[in-house]
Amino acid sequence: MQVTVDGTAVQVSDGATVLEAAKRAGSWVPTLCFDERQAPFGACRACMVAVDGSAKPVPACTTLCREGMVIDTTDPTARRVATAVVELVLSELPSAPAPHTELAAVAAKLGVEGPRWPGATHPVAHDLRHPYLAFEHELCISCGRCVRACDEVQGTFALTAVGRGFEANVAAGIGSGFLESACVSCGACADTCPTDAITERLLLDGGNNGGPPPDAPRLRRRLSTN
Amino acid sequence: MSRNLVELIRRHDQAAAPTALDLLKAAAERHGSVTADDVRDAAAASGLPEATVYGVATFYDDLNEPRGDRHVRACSGTACFAATAGRHIAELGAGLGLDVDGVKGDGSVSFGEVVCLGFCHSSPAVIDGRTVVAGADAVQTVLAGAPAPAAEPDWVSLLEQPVLTRSGDWSGLARALRELEPEQLLAEVEAAEVRGRGGAGFPAGVKWRFTRAATGADKFIVANGDEGDPGSYIDKYLMERNPQLVLEGMALAGYAVGAAHGYILVRSEYPLSKPTLDATIAKAHADGWLGSDIQGSGFDFDITVVEGAGSYVVGEETALLACLQGLRGTVSARPPFPAERGVHGMPTVVNNVETLANIPYIALRGAQAYHDLSPDTKTAGSKLVCFNERFSRPTVYEVPFGMSMRRLCDEVAGGMRDGHTVKALQIGGPLGGILPAHLLDTAFDFEPLAAHGCMVGHGSIVAFDEDMDMRALTVHLLEFGAHESCGKCFPCRIGLRRAHEMFSAGTPVDRERFEQLLETLELGSLCAHGSGMPAPLRSLLTHFADELGLAS
Repeated sequence: MQVTVDGTAVQVSDGATVLEAAKRAGSWVPTLCFDERQAPFGACRACMVAVDGSAKPVPACTTLCREGMVIDTTDPTARRVATAVVELVLSELPSAPAPHTELAAVAAKLGVEGPRWPGATHPVAHDLRHPYLAFEHELCISCGRCVRACDEVQGTFALTAVGRGFEANVAAGIGSGFLESACVSCGACADTCPTDAITERLLLDGGNNGGPPPDAPRLRRRLSTN
Repeated sequence: MSRNLVELIRRHDQAAAPTALDLLKAAAERHGSVTADDVRDAAAASGLPEATVYGVATFYDDLNEPRGDRHVRACSGTACFAATAGRHIAELGAGLGLDVDGVKGDGSVSFGEVVCLGFCHSSPAVIDGRTVVAGADAVQTVLAGAPAPAAEPDWVSLLEQPVLTRSGDWSGLARALRELEPEQLLAEVEAAEVRGRGGAGFPAGVKWRFTRAATGADKFIVANGDEGDPGSYIDKYLMERNPQLVLEGMALAGYAVGAAHGYILVRSEYPLSKPTLDATIAKAHADGWLGSDIQGSGFDFDITVVEGAGSYVVGEETALLACLQGLRGTVSARPPFPAERGVHGMPTVVNNVETLANIPYIALRGAQAYHDLSPDTKTAGSKLVCFNERFSRPTVYEVPFGMSMRRLCDEVAGGMRDGHTVKALQIGGPLGGILPAHLLDTAFDFEPLAAHGCMVGHGSIVAFDEDMDMRALTVHLLEFGAHESCGKCFPCRIGLRRAHEMFSAGTPVDRERFEQLLETLELGSLCAHGSGMPAPLRSLLTHFADELGLAS
């Protein structure tokens, strides 16, 4: 079927999402909980766009295209909501996300300022017992990408969402950490994490000796600077 | 909802095993809390991964409150708040010598809050073990250590031909099995234009049509009895006073869409609902109205009752399906809709219990008779409404659509008690707008209420009297909103927390920033919890701005 994204007509297949159409058209849509290797989740609400001139924006990742749909990824209302959502997410972190993270990149591209709504932040809690994976829980934004990577990509089910409301977070095993969970150290969770809440540890970072958390930009910085 | 987990549950369910949530609830009942060993055992018995079951254990209120041998909880619902402004919670805690979520050192007594026990007609309410005590002296009675179960007033019908307060007698199912093909019954329900009674008002016939047309090895009917709206006790009355009518509606839905099994999910805050429904199901089996080859028709239908564990958002249909299957009660994005992928990934109808209770009448008398019930409006059928303790005659009433709110309050519920006056009403639950006294001539119907930012919702009518502190009410509503956010979508998870922080800090609130937050919640949230919470807050801003402590 054919849809129009920001004035550009694109062909998409039946069942395609608005987000897929936008990508095909080369339009940028902010996302935080989306990973193309995983089923759409619809949690972060950063991917709001306008369709068919409606005043009420829709999430691009879970809205299906219809023949002739007109999609506006830069609709002011949709963009205002997306920006507010990212501003809220930043406000729950005790410190700003590292510049190389997906969250920081999305926030920068949206021009997020603020916070207009400061308040409680997540308590700092580090689990550094696992030799290859570090979990800094205060950086978790409950996007569910790690949980779904472990479920849909790896099939290990070592991770789960825990808690409710603002206290929601992610835990491995029975809240016991990666080391005492079904984790097979595949690293899919760290790979998809948009905030570096879960990162791969390198031997250079201190290995499994339980040392302090290494400086945030780890594996990817090393790769990009090599 | 994870497709992998749902498939694991489907395969395991062939052995009719209890869900992970059932097992965790049983463990918490046994020894007061859920331990790591309980999680491992529940995982092994349910066939789910340990981490998944741990996630379930951390989600539900009933699994996370510290519990002593005697567990006493004060109702924190909106009707009880309207009655005491929260004083009963403080008094009960002081009397027990415990803070909220506190346990005596020897483990003998614990104290907590519970979001609405459905005794809104007799607020305040307290539950001591499984005994609900309610009324002005509830706290003293509980502290005296001799709790007696509170009485519940009879319901009343204003209709000559009651639909919902008429005791179920299987006559609608009998007629359908005898005279109507499933397609004819479905067409009749479509023609009756039954709008969902749970809050959203979605046409039931549309859900049924999609489910009937969907392909699946099995299909299911799910009755949503998770009446979490503080101030509502309509479904409680239906499930406990007229359970047969609800079951009959479920069986009719099964007949129309081609489902052989139904589930009904009830709240744990209504301890009598599950046993009442279970007993009614057993009798229906004995009488040949449920089970195989019902009344020799060849139609098979059975019903399982599942009890929740303390979560408001589980009343949302995708969260309900997750809870029913023993998972965390979080919302899933649609599509897929339950009509396509519901219980066990199979096509499923999810209807509120009151919606389903309308069906036997339609099966028996047809769509036109159903339309004729509310002659003053285009809206079809009748509605159950319930009033809070601030009224003189609070109970559940079956009313036609279209009466003015003033007539409902003054003539039906007898006006306010003890010479009090109405300051405002919250209609239809916590996501319903607040109607100030000067708009009481508004008709009780979908469109007229919507014009004032209000809704029919589930039909509860909670009055606040002249003494209500509207800023305190705002904090009350936001505390509920933030506590009950399932945590899945970002606007609701963080936004309701921030809104609560803005008003509970005791400092002036910047109206513009607050309204920007409301827009984010309203337009950004995944489900009606986050997108609906702004409605009453906007009403308060519109009608009571000078009482909210806004920055000048």
